[in-house]
Amino acid sequence: MSIGFRATILVVGLLGVLGGCPNASAQETPYFVAYSSHLEEPGNLEIEFYSIYGTQEAAGDLIAPWAEFEYGVTGWWTTEFYVDSQSTFGDSAVFTGTRWENRFRPLMREHFINPVLYVEFENTTDADKTLKEVVGFDNQLDAAEPNSQANQTHTHELETKLILSSDFKGWNFSENFIGEKNLGHEPWEFGYALGAARPLRLAATPYPCNFCRENFIVGAEMYGGLGTASSFTLSHTSHYLAPIFAWQMPNGITWSISPGFGLTGQSHEFLLRWGVSYEVAGFGRAIRSLFQ
Amino acid sequence: MSRRSIVILLLIGSLAAASATVAKREPRREATREKDSRGVVHAIARAPLKTRRWQSPYNDDPSAILAGKKLFRHHCAECHGDDARGNLHAANLRAPGVQRATPGELEWLLWNGNLAKGMPSWSGLPPQRRWQIVAYLKSLR
Repeated sequence: MSIGFRATILVVGLLGVLGGCPNASAQETPYFVAYSSHLEEPGNLEIEFYSIYGTQEAAGDLIAPWAEFEYGVTGWWTTEFYVDSQSTFGDSAVFTGTRWENRFRPLMREHFINPVLYVEFENTTDADKTLKEVVGFDNQLDAAEPNSQANQTHTHELETKLILSSDFKGWNFSENFIGEKNLGHEPWEFGYALGAARPLRLAATPYPCNFCRENFIVGAEMYGGLGTASSFTLSHTSHYLAPIFAWQMPNGITWSISPGFGLTGQSHEFLLRWGVSYEVAGFGRAIRSLFQ
Repeated sequence: MSRRSIVILLLIGSLAAASATVAKREPRREATREKDSRGVVHAIARAPLKTRRWQSPYNDDPSAILAGKKLFRHHCAECHGDDARGNLHAANLRAPGVQRATPGELEWLLWNGNLAKGMPSWSGLPPQRRWQIVAYLKSLR
């Protein structure tokens, strides 16, 4: 049986299961890079398709789409699988790898600052340009290598994050400290991501509506590199500031967009991220009931 | 049999399985109606005493109750049922033990969740929306 045929069977089966599941509205924050302490609701599956457009000085502009499948295993554990790809103008389009992340809430109650521990294993190539995190001395020139060469270099990386997050008067404030280790004997690289977001209206209106202010979230995030274990510094690192705008529709679909601006000479001058996500409620129960 | 026929058969089969899954849920929901609410009552009992004094900004405000009903359907009904009587693994929120809780205790429970027992924290919802859900829950008594 060919891989394409098996993939078709898998997709058809998945669609069948999804067809039996209701949708739900998530309470997650709209960040693209930063993470908050809000995990996926247990048993829910969130399917997300995102993309980034970026300008580059030394190569054609890039577009890097990726898909995320996020599942709430328990109230304190969320797992997520990523599939990354990339296309550079004037070059080629390539599949750049997969990532598997897990987030854990160590404290079972809410506090003024809520910690979450994040562990991710990345199996990608050097052609990966999703810029889901900026660490070390990441530089826009890193992305200038032609896809045919960059896609030959496979990297296995362990990424860890300490996520701190607070909710105050409808605002969410999130601070992430990132440590990333290339498992091929390279030093730890560090980075950060900060985010703040708030719905345009805090209270809900009594009736269902698509365009009321309660469904729109605005915010901003800032992220960048902090050097390596041997050179922990802000100099010669790239940093970005990006406003965010998200629209959470009552049918479980969320649209989001975020223009980002490079703040240093090492940064891409302009990034534009956009995406759509769909929350499937009770996915875990539907799968379990198929086998009962 | 061609591959296309196999795919079509699989499509029909998986859709039928999904429909059967939904259909199977209904009797199970009936069987678990008026589900034991001891778990949620124990969770409420862990609320600090000061939460009993927390005042709802909405009380019996009809528009807040309607908004709370809408939010309940979006966020809670999948587990607790459209009528809040509970199903599968989630508690009956109309049970006397739950209805005896003060609005402040219910808001505290929504804010914290009961992570070890599978109820998520709803701290990501603005407090106004949590209070609207509480107003709806108290209207069920």
